[in-house]
Amino acid sequence: MLVEESEDTEKPERSKERVNVKGKRRYSREEKRKGKLLVESALDSKDESLVDGSVSDVELLAQEVNLSDEKPSKKNNRRTSQGRMERFRDTARQNASRFAHFNTQEEDDNILSMEAESEIPSEELEEKGVEDWPGSFSTAMKIIRDRAANLNVRQGSSSSDKVQSLQIKWVPQKCKRKDWSKRLPPSLLDLSLRVLVDNADAIASLAHVPDALRHKLCHMLCDSRRMNSNFFDLLLNGSPTEIRLKDCSWLTEEQFTQCFEKCDTTNLTILQLDFCGHCFADYNLPSTLARSPNSLPALTTLSLTGAYRLSDAGLSALVSSAPALRSVNLSQCSFLTHSAIDILATSLASVLLELFIDDCQSIDAMLVLPSLKKLEHLEVLSVAGLESVTDSFIKEFLIARGDGIKELILMDCWKLTDSSLKIIAETCSNLRALDIGNISKLTDTSFGYLASGCRSLQSLKLCHNAFSDDAIAAFLEMSGEVLKELALNNVGKVGLNTALSLARRSRNLVSLDLSWCRNLTDEAMGLIVDSCLSLRVLKLFGCSQITDVFLYGHSNAKVEIIGLKLSPFLEHIKTPAQGPFQYSSV
Amino acid sequence: MKRKDTVKLISADEMEFIIDKDAAMVSQTIGGFAEMELGEVTFPEISAVILEKICQYFYWALQYSRGKETEFHIEPELTLELMMAPNYLHT
Repeated sequence: MLVEESEDTEKPERSKERVNVKGKRRYSREEKRKGKLLVESALDSKDESLVDGSVSDVELLAQEVNLSDEKPSKKNNRRTSQGRMERFRDTARQNASRFAHFNTQEEDDNILSMEAESEIPSEELEEKGVEDWPGSFSTAMKIIRDRAANLNVRQGSSSSDKVQSLQIKWVPQKCKRKDWSKRLPPSLLDLSLRVLVDNADAIASLAHVPDALRHKLCHMLCDSRRMNSNFFDLLLNGSPTEIRLKDCSWLTEEQFTQCFEKCDTTNLTILQLDFCGHCFADYNLPSTLARSPNSLPALTTLSLTGAYRLSDAGLSALVSSAPALRSVNLSQCSFLTHSAIDILATSLASVLLELFIDDCQSIDAMLVLPSLKKLEHLEVLSVAGLESVTDSFIKEFLIARGDGIKELILMDCWKLTDSSLKIIAETCSNLRALDIGNISKLTDTSFGYLASGCRSLQSLKLCHNAFSDDAIAAFLEMSGEVLKELALNNVGKVGLNTALSLARRSRNLVSLDLSWCRNLTDEAMGLIVDSCLSLRVLKLFGCSQITDVFLYGHSNAKVEIIGLKLSPFLEHIKTPAQGPFQYSSV
Repeated sequence: MKRKDTVKLISADEMEFIIDKDAAMVSQTIGGFAEMELGEVTFPEISAVILEKICQYFYWALQYSRGKETEFHIEPELTLELMMAPNYLHT
């Protein structure tokens, strides 16, 4: 409101700059509205995608909101005292960050809405389908379309007709039962763990405690912020084999150095020190982890996320002390450059199975390409958040290494288009898991490629993508049987067709994320949950349209619904594989 | 108590605990054993103190699933050992 007022008063005062600034202002106001909606959804989905590292996006959007809130008050202060040029400079300054971090999805939203206005008839789309999509996918699409009595897929008055013609027949259970989870008593293991976490300081020794239980304890201690150096000492006592700390932000440099200096690392196979930037730098490496070449002879899995002070030289020292490394996670190590990956490729070309370089902003994807191609047995590659990942990167890398790749994480690589998905489908025949969240340029054509190409896909993660209900439904009809994990977070067009296909095809689905899918009704949810008998986890953040009719009416006793009522959800954030690698065995 | 409705659990130091079959069913492992054998299961790795606590847990879990929800108190000194036993018992 305030913005509009101030703009009106400022209008007569401007002269030649009026057009530009006005144009800018109008655009930014629209953007601001859109920006606000996006912020809400991003901030809420942050809760459930903490691990994804999309925190940077949220912070950017939060800054935008702050700026837009500051705008009216700032203008009131400045208007009277300073001149016109100051005002323009202020406006430019305030708007600059928004333009600098241009959100491509907003551009796409504009494009999509323009398309809707021009009302492309579905026949034309089908024609395009025959040309672009592989045969069976276009058949599947046709079946989905014929499900609805009306052919016009675009929004408008037709959507209400479509709802009527697609009747989802699901009747909730007659007897209302209480929350099922309360009936199951907590296991003795959970009870003991809770007592231990409460009394962690009293634990004298962790000898004979198996690694899996140690990890659970660490996980719970880190979550409740009770982790401290005493417990860390206990973990490092003796000759530990596995250490998994999901949060080392409490650890100081001195504590880290002291504890690790006396640790016997000869049997250490897994070392995970996430968020270790505070305690970990090049200069305390020689006394702790990189004591000598081969000081970590058995280390196969290393995770040092957030080590923002680790340089290429430091990594080189690490690699020389751990020659058997097969899985390396260097996410958010912002100091590393492509030379670091060169080092990895030179020493570990024949053994490296998994590489995670999420958000390593100093790494240029194209420069890293030659090194990546040298990794002969790479199974898992994560380049989430790297803006330099383009279609040509994907093409060149996968043509060389695609047949061995089992998991590809491309979240936030917003430059990618459908042609990358085409390459993925053609080269990655063994692909088990794919994450293409936040890539707004992808269209339904990608689903066509995926359905025909990646037949063993077990995990598919989407987020904020622009796919249509029909395309997802058709994909599920073709590939739904094998799917175990599906995330359709904020894929706004998901609707009844997807629900029907999920119910019919997804026998093996274990985890489903339908957060922010507002077109799904209670009946649709009920049908999905009652038909997918393997389903154990259902995330429904932001689905305020779901009521108790579904919550207490569904008959699937084993599914856990997260995100609607107040329920502990941190426990369901994916913990890393218990073994050293995701797909291979040692 | 009739003999058929009970299961005998024997600890490492040869203390015997006789409990209802319903209670023993809380543990999937014991439930499986009890079907096959004479109704006796030996646990050479679990001491009497821990086994006693485990039996108490079985009864508590039974009560809980029948609606009576109370606290199950565990002495901190027992917890480390107690934590490792269920791993084996699938409780």
